[in-house]
Amino acid sequence: MSAPIDKLLEADGDLRRIAGELEHLPEAFPRRVNADPEQVEKGLAQLVLTLVELLRQLMERQALRRMEGGTLTDEQIERLGDTFMKLDRRMQELIEHFGLEEGDLNLNLGPLGDLL
Amino acid sequence: MKNGDRQLLQHEVTLLELVDRVLNKGVVLSGDITLSVADVDLVYVGLRVLLSSVATLEQQQAEIAAEAGR
Amino acid sequence: MIHVYGVVDRLADLPEVAGLDDAPLELVHVSGLDLVVSKAEPTAEISREALLRHAEVVEELMQASDAVLPAQLGRAFRDDAELEETVREQAPKLTRALQDVRGCVEFGLRAIPDEGPQDVEAASGAEYMHARLGEMHRQDSLVADLHEPLARLARATTLHRRGGELNAAYLVAAEDVAEFRRAAAQVEAAPGVTVVCTGPWPPYSFAEGAR
Repeated sequence: MSAPIDKLLEADGDLRRIAGELEHLPEAFPRRVNADPEQVEKGLAQLVLTLVELLRQLMERQALRRMEGGTLTDEQIERLGDTFMKLDRRMQELIEHFGLEEGDLNLNLGPLGDLL
Repeated sequence: MKNGDRQLLQHEVTLLELVDRVLNKGVVLSGDITLSVADVDLVYVGLRVLLSSVATLEQQQAEIAAEAGR
Repeated sequence: MIHVYGVVDRLADLPEVAGLDDAPLELVHVSGLDLVVSKAEPTAEISREALLRHAEVVEELMQASDAVLPAQLGRAFRDDAELEETVREQAPKLTRALQDVRGCVEFGLRAIPDEGPQDVEAASGAEYMHARLGEMHRQDSLVADLHEPLARLARATTLHRRGGELNAAYLVAAEDVAEFRRAAAQVEAAPGVTVVCTGPWPPYSFAEGAR
């Protein structure tokens, strides 16, 4: 059976970008048992960084909502922005350090869907 | 984009959508489910402990770098 | 090893297609539920053929029954006893999920804005925050313009936002499919964003229940 092309309802624009995105599909963790120590460390880093990224997104979103709502002082906005910037930069460094890509940071929680 | 190329891309996209559903979605019927709801709670608790400040993250990075240097 | 394709409700007949490794499909009854399975050789890796075959069987089950809960590929049971125990444990949840998806199909949406999330090069914390707020508004607009019109026509939805991109699934009742297709055509025409709508699929994204 080939791909059921009649499943494509509507498609507009540059499909190459969608196809590229889909190649980053997060996989259930763990799906394959891999005992290679380097891979184990990379897998662990992936898990840790995914969780950190989740927290970072949640915190940032919450801060932005509060800024929008006008309940933060200018000083608080400045300090929060500075912290988030540093955090983001650090995350990029760590991601690179472990030979990962941003698309690798995700967890499939089975019944609960994807984490990010 | 040539019609043939476009068809191929559409094919690829549809196939990828199918693969995503079959491998990542669907009901999980197994004795060894990877993460149950209880496990997810544990993960969240671990998160709070894991990241309390940027300083903590910096320290961890230093430790990881030290480990990698060995 | 026993491979499961899905849980079905009022299956007319077992589809004529063979299962994985060309094994015959079988219908088993556990805890008042009907499952479609086949016996398979234990394997460590999932082949491309197995994946496509699994999908094909699930598709046939959708055509031939009142409802199907597609099973995720990648887990198998050692024997009947293990299968029965697992299904018995999950029977109430599966029964509810079967109700949720009856008479419905799934559609999917993926949208990538043409303008990617700006890599923020901010000179100050405040500048960073304002840039991020702008990005958040852009994402919220995307959800309002693309997702909401479709969600209104669905019994249930799942939605993921990731780096400015949207990925959603919709559980749509058969009688609403025509209207959904029209709405999808409108959404697809939205400027400044690459949109892909697919379907109808068996309800993979709602097989664990439609909340």
